[in-house]
Amino acid sequence: MRPWETIKLLLASATGKVGIGLFLALVIVSIYVVISYPLDFGTRTWNNPAVWADNPKNVPPAWSNAFTDVKRVEHTTFRATKPTEVIPAQGINTWRYTFALDYQFDEPPTFTSFALRNVIYYSRPPVITLSLSRPDGKEMLLYRHVVRGPDPGESLPVSRYVEAPLRVYLSGDNTVLWNVADFVRQEFKLDTPLSELRGMVDRVMFGIPVEENGQDFKVLNGNYTIIATAQVYHPEDSIGEVSFVLGGSVYGVMGTDSLGRDLATGLVFGCPVALLIGLVTAVLTTTIGAFMGILSGYKGGRTDTAIQRFCDILANIPLLPILIFLIFIFGQKLRLVILVLVAFGWPGMTILIRSMVLQYRSSQLVEATRALGASPWRIMFRHIFFQIAPFVLAQMIFFTPAAILAEAGLSFLGLGDPSIPTWGQILEHGFRTGAVYAGYWWWVLPPGLLIVLAATTFVLLTLGMEPVVNPRLRQ
Amino acid sequence: MSLVTTLAVRGLTLFGVLMAVLLLVVIALGATGFSDRMLHATINEELRGLRQSLAQTIRDPDQLEQALSLQREELVRYYHLDKPWYFRLPDMVRRVLTFDLGEARTLRSFEGSSRVSDIVRERLLNTVLLVTTASIITAILGLLIGPKLASQAGSRLDRTACLFLAFSYALPAWWMGIFLILAFSFKFNLFPTGGMYSLPPPPGGIDRLFDLLWHAALPIITLVLVSFGSWTYIVRTMVLNTAQESFVSVARAKGLPEQLIRRRYIIRVAAPPIVTNLMLGLAGSIGGAILTETVFNWPGMGRLYYDAVLAADESVIVALTFIFTLIYIIARFILEILYVILDPRIRYA
Repeated sequence: MRPWETIKLLLASATGKVGIGLFLALVIVSIYVVISYPLDFGTRTWNNPAVWADNPKNVPPAWSNAFTDVKRVEHTTFRATKPTEVIPAQGINTWRYTFALDYQFDEPPTFTSFALRNVIYYSRPPVITLSLSRPDGKEMLLYRHVVRGPDPGESLPVSRYVEAPLRVYLSGDNTVLWNVADFVRQEFKLDTPLSELRGMVDRVMFGIPVEENGQDFKVLNGNYTIIATAQVYHPEDSIGEVSFVLGGSVYGVMGTDSLGRDLATGLVFGCPVALLIGLVTAVLTTTIGAFMGILSGYKGGRTDTAIQRFCDILANIPLLPILIFLIFIFGQKLRLVILVLVAFGWPGMTILIRSMVLQYRSSQLVEATRALGASPWRIMFRHIFFQIAPFVLAQMIFFTPAAILAEAGLSFLGLGDPSIPTWGQILEHGFRTGAVYAGYWWWVLPPGLLIVLAATTFVLLTLGMEPVVNPRLRQ
Repeated sequence: MSLVTTLAVRGLTLFGVLMAVLLLVVIALGATGFSDRMLHATINEELRGLRQSLAQTIRDPDQLEQALSLQREELVRYYHLDKPWYFRLPDMVRRVLTFDLGEARTLRSFEGSSRVSDIVRERLLNTVLLVTTASIITAILGLLIGPKLASQAGSRLDRTACLFLAFSYALPAWWMGIFLILAFSFKFNLFPTGGMYSLPPPPGGIDRLFDLLWHAALPIITLVLVSFGSWTYIVRTMVLNTAQESFVSVARAKGLPEQLIRRRYIIRVAAPPIVTNLMLGLAGSIGGAILTETVFNWPGMGRLYYDAVLAADESVIVALTFIFTLIYIIARFILEILYVILDPRIRYA
């Protein structure tokens, strides 16, 4: 049967259609990941706590707000590498970075922070000012910073905050506290003592007093603008990145885990990994299995007996215990997992394919070919193989979810490859740190659902392949 | 005669499986130096005990050290640590086969023993209890539902059921367990999140049994849910294949009652291949049990695997790998006997 006929038959059934659709979706996501993620995503990003330091820990996805009475703050990071606006003046340029924020939440942010990266200056150190423009028209000065001048012996240009950025935790910073106290005094005519204002900084930034002269603040919704201005004294000066973090208690599409990692990025990255594990294992297993099966079935005699006895033993070893043992002893590497899955998977395939080959060995087609003088190898791999090819293909698809599930199970037992995040590992981390018992559903349910989805894709494809393999089922 | 031969061949194959696993384990341990470390740990443990008892009789510290180092050399020779690892293979095989598995590094049995065989023995029964119950429930459900679906093959019910059954094949046991915990322990507060008994456990008798059942409910439901789908599908397919045979048509043409046809002409004939498939699924249910126990903190050997991996306790992992293989082989052999009983072609050949 030609390939396009196979696909046509697959598309004829509902299961085949859904299967192909899901498979294409997985492939598209995988291509996206291969293009846009770094290859060492696991070590450089996922397992690097510095990347996730600003993120809130253990928070649900942003869309969960739709199901709660209180609209919680969505964690947002504003970044800019170029100023929004440059105001040139004699000798001093003013760069303005503005971030618009439509604040429509019922709670104040959990924290706010400001960061500055990669500052290079050629004459005098730049002056940075951070302020907040509020929906009630008031403008609030938060923070002012002069970049540290050149050290004795240090020559111009000077670069600052290259390795470690300047990070100001606004909610707990003393200068910010004084600025906020000034603001409260001037704008609301309140004389709140500093000790009380401490810990209320974010509440004041995004709020107004509940009543005249009251000490309590309520959230003020509306359009805010975060403005960072930099005064630079030389045309060649540069600022790498300015960023402002609005600490929230809901995050992104899939929420975060206990380290603040954005679960969505990990889940997306898990997609090509799962496909890779499943497909590589299935292709290798079926190739070896088909080769040995055809050899065993066609040659017969002693070769057959030897191969079959060997396969009987290997195919009967319970997989998970031996997998746990080997990975534990030889180290947690993904390629080792695949190797073990192939090593213990091909015998089962060989036994199946041999039984198929036996039907064709004595067929007239094979007999005729032999009479024409074809060599055994030619008969085996030109004639018999193409007879059973659809069956082999169906077996290959059927084997794919088994490999995905085996890897996920292994990861779940804590034996995943630490340099490559997989769905099983995300789930395992959640399970180990008690996310299940704390009810963090956004952490433990999606990776499992994705594993089920990936496995179902291949099961559906197998079901759709049935009419291809078994012509009697064709309508 | 043929019956004996068949059983002997199957028995030999299974023995081959056990030997293959054993060799794999022992060679892997030897070649990676793990066995050296395990034996050294055992020697250190023995010497520590010896030091305490000797310290009461020998006062001079130099003399004590000398006596201990003599003893150490003795032990090194006794465990053949002075020779390369491949000379120790037969000895190691013997030790594993006799369950002389040494000391666990950090894990302890519930009674505080650090001997691996003690730790494993306590938990063996818990695993067997869980897996057997779940398997029996699954088998009964499959045998009830499978033939029913087969008799209505192609109907809407059958098609929906098949889709669901296929879906359940893709369902990992541990994730199902987590889902059930989130739903039934947290949302509805119906079942405990894990463990085998409440703390403190109720005193003996019927209360204790109910407490056990209450704790076992979710793990058993999990195991049944994940294995029941493919099992029912197999039964359905086997029954369907047999039902299309011509001897069934003949029986129908003779006017035999449908009940009799189903029982004697279809299910009886389909039984041996069903058992074969049960055998093929056995390895999978062992894997499912390991993961389910882990999720529900069920104090069986599967949970022990997880604890041993977390604690990097290699002697426990070796023991568990061997014992799981052994359990699998025993269960397989029981099924082989069942198969021989069910398939008259083997008996009368």
